[in-house]
Amino acid sequence: MAETREPPPLSEEENIKSEEEDDDLFASAHVEVKAEEPKGEKVTAEIEPQNLLDEGDDIDLNFAEGAKQANADKVDETSKANLFEPEKVGDAANIDAQPLVNDQPKAAPRSSAFATATKNKAQQLSDEIEEESSENITINISVSHPQKVGDGMGAYMTYKIVTKTNIPEFKKELFSVNRRFSDFLGLHSKLEEKHAHLGRIVPPAPEKSVIGMTKVKMSKEDDGTLAHDEFVEKRRASLERYLNRTASHAVLRLDSDFREFLQLDADLPKATNTSALSGAGMKRLFNRVGISVNKMTYKMDESDEWFEEKQQQLENLDDQLRKLHTSVEALVHHRKQLSLHTASFAKSAAMVGNAEEHTSLSRALSQLAEVEEKVERLHEKQADADFFVLAELLKDYINLIAAVKEVFHQRVKVFQNWEAAQQTLTKKRETEAKMHLAGKTEKLDQAKADIAEWEANVQKGQHEFEEISQTIRKEVDCFEKQRVIDFKSSIIKYLDSLIDDQQQLIQYWEAFLPEARAIA
Amino acid sequence: MTKEEFSKMKQELEAEYLATFKKTVAMHEVFLQRIAAHPVLRSDHNFRVFLEYDQDLSVRSKNKKEKFGGFLKTITKSADEVMLHNQKDVDEFFEHQKVFLEEYYTRIKDSTSKADKMTRTHKNVADSYIKISGGLVQLATIENTDLSKFLNSLGDGFEKARKLEGRIASDQDLKISDTLRYYMRDSSAAKDLLYRRLRCLSNYESANKALERARLKNKEIQQSENAQQHARESFDHISEIAKSELADFKTRRVQMFRKNLIDAAELEIKHSKAHVQLLKNTIQTLKEA
Repeated sequence: MAETREPPPLSEEENIKSEEEDDDLFASAHVEVKAEEPKGEKVTAEIEPQNLLDEGDDIDLNFAEGAKQANADKVDETSKANLFEPEKVGDAANIDAQPLVNDQPKAAPRSSAFATATKNKAQQLSDEIEEESSENITINISVSHPQKVGDGMGAYMTYKIVTKTNIPEFKKELFSVNRRFSDFLGLHSKLEEKHAHLGRIVPPAPEKSVIGMTKVKMSKEDDGTLAHDEFVEKRRASLERYLNRTASHAVLRLDSDFREFLQLDADLPKATNTSALSGAGMKRLFNRVGISVNKMTYKMDESDEWFEEKQQQLENLDDQLRKLHTSVEALVHHRKQLSLHTASFAKSAAMVGNAEEHTSLSRALSQLAEVEEKVERLHEKQADADFFVLAELLKDYINLIAAVKEVFHQRVKVFQNWEAAQQTLTKKRETEAKMHLAGKTEKLDQAKADIAEWEANVQKGQHEFEEISQTIRKEVDCFEKQRVIDFKSSIIKYLDSLIDDQQQLIQYWEAFLPEARAIA
Repeated sequence: MTKEEFSKMKQELEAEYLATFKKTVAMHEVFLQRIAAHPVLRSDHNFRVFLEYDQDLSVRSKNKKEKFGGFLKTITKSADEVMLHNQKDVDEFFEHQKVFLEEYYTRIKDSTSKADKMTRTHKNVADSYIKISGGLVQLATIENTDLSKFLNSLGDGFEKARKLEGRIASDQDLKISDTLRYYMRDSSAAKDLLYRRLRCLSNYESANKALERARLKNKEIQQSENAQQHARESFDHISEIAKSELADFKTRRVQMFRKNLIDAAELEIKHSKAHVQLLKNTIQTLKEA
């Protein structure tokens, strides 16, 4: 069916445009909208006739639609139309978009009803989200075979990425590529550029590590032993989690950069702007300083209490997770110590067994030493499980929450822009009034043009704000659901591994018992 | 500190106290039983008094003078030991014993300290569970999703696991470390016995030499003869007793190790089974939550 096929060039163009933009939010939105307009016809033509969109109403819908083109995989695109209902609510222009449920034009009043409307829609949205996930879309990514390439300071690790999916946008169902760490970072920064300012939560990439990589670069051993290195394993696991998390996001998984990352056979162009010392790195540093100053100085008066609540919750969650993370790390540390000490005890018990004259006692003591050795290996295994399952899970979520907070901040920025636009509009109006009084007719026209322009900007600002609020609500709901699922499954996995270890322990000691009894 | 934290801490302290109490009681019991089992020591007057006297024994601890005196004695003793160290024994049995005991002592001392470290770290692991359980419960309180019940039960699970691990650690301590420690002390005592015997031997030998010298000089022969006789007697006496004591030492050692190793293994199995049960229960409650 034609409507399930999205035209790839469409989204690519859109993405290119967004990449070229600088940080001016309005500009990007504006241009994107303009880019979408001529395609508006094409888009609407492709979408099922039930999605009746008012011709004059293209602007916002297409903008949103264009952004959601990536989601076109859905069989029922009609449900998508419903997703964007609230965005049109606040629009002053007449809205004729038709919700699928009741074939009546929805012309809801302005943002006062927005809040209540969104609450109703929120329910519908969560239904639709469930609908989406219940459809048979699977994507599974595994990262393996860390290999060292090159030598000396220029060396780096590549990882083999195998993707198995039945999403139609991907060319094949099973494919694999080789990527290096900076490729991952490049992917993340591209995704962030494209999506973060729309309010989507982009999963954060694993952190750089100078120490770990230097060790890798300096090591002279070949790939075999390196693959077992703790740092490499840690990195491999976190890369795998990163890719799977990004793939589980309905919009991000269909992003063209993401797909290229997974599919393109050749090496990706070196993402030099991710290295810390590059020009882009410096720029990032300055940006960050500016952002933190902004965060501290500007206080947005929050009209929507949902956001207040959520932010508070996120702060609390962040705190608690950090505390928990430190205690889990302490546990890991202690267990590693325990395994060390058990090992040394095993050795000294063996020595005592050797010195012992009485034969069966000597034998029993050596057996004890062996058991303790096995126990030591078990403790080490458990410490590993503690770390990889629990500690990393918590760390991931702490980072994710930082990304969510970032998204909230984006919303504040959008609000700021909207307010700024409103202020400019008022000023322009004043100038116009002054001109009018002073009778300078030629400048009056200019002033009127200005006013019109800024009125449009104000509307745009408001739209964006409402849109981003909408997206954020959806994203946060998704995030919460995902979090619950993640936590539950990881913890159960961890407890299962504990059970296994304990049962092994039982076996070892039961094997030892007859030996102990055999002491004559 | 909140009430729950306070009661938890109280419980923890009680458990620790109980564990230490168990340990001290066991040690004392072993000590008294040893004395009672010994054919000569059991009829010692002091021992009798200790067991039978109704009222409080007023045992005065060493005052300064005695402590100092004791300190000096240890110094002279160790100097003596070094001197006697090179003296080779006539009797092969004792020679062999000496070598064996020296080595055994060093190794078992090493083992005791390692076992102690191991039990201590094990306790640390158990204690770190407390913080995790506390963190989980706090997380559960601020949580508003399904995770709340989940985390609560998980926190409980960790709490119980901690108690279990703590008990494992203290039992391990009790059985293995203490056995090793006891035998470290015992082998030290055996070494002392050998030392005393060697002392007697050297006394005997010097008495012999004195006798020969006296015979040469033809002076005080009787005296030296008496001295030599005396020394010889005490040497023989001590040698015999030492033989039986050392044989006894060996049997006792074997027995005690056997008992404690069996106990240790059984306790480990019991605790691991309980642990598995606890984990299974927790998973069950978590899956239902």
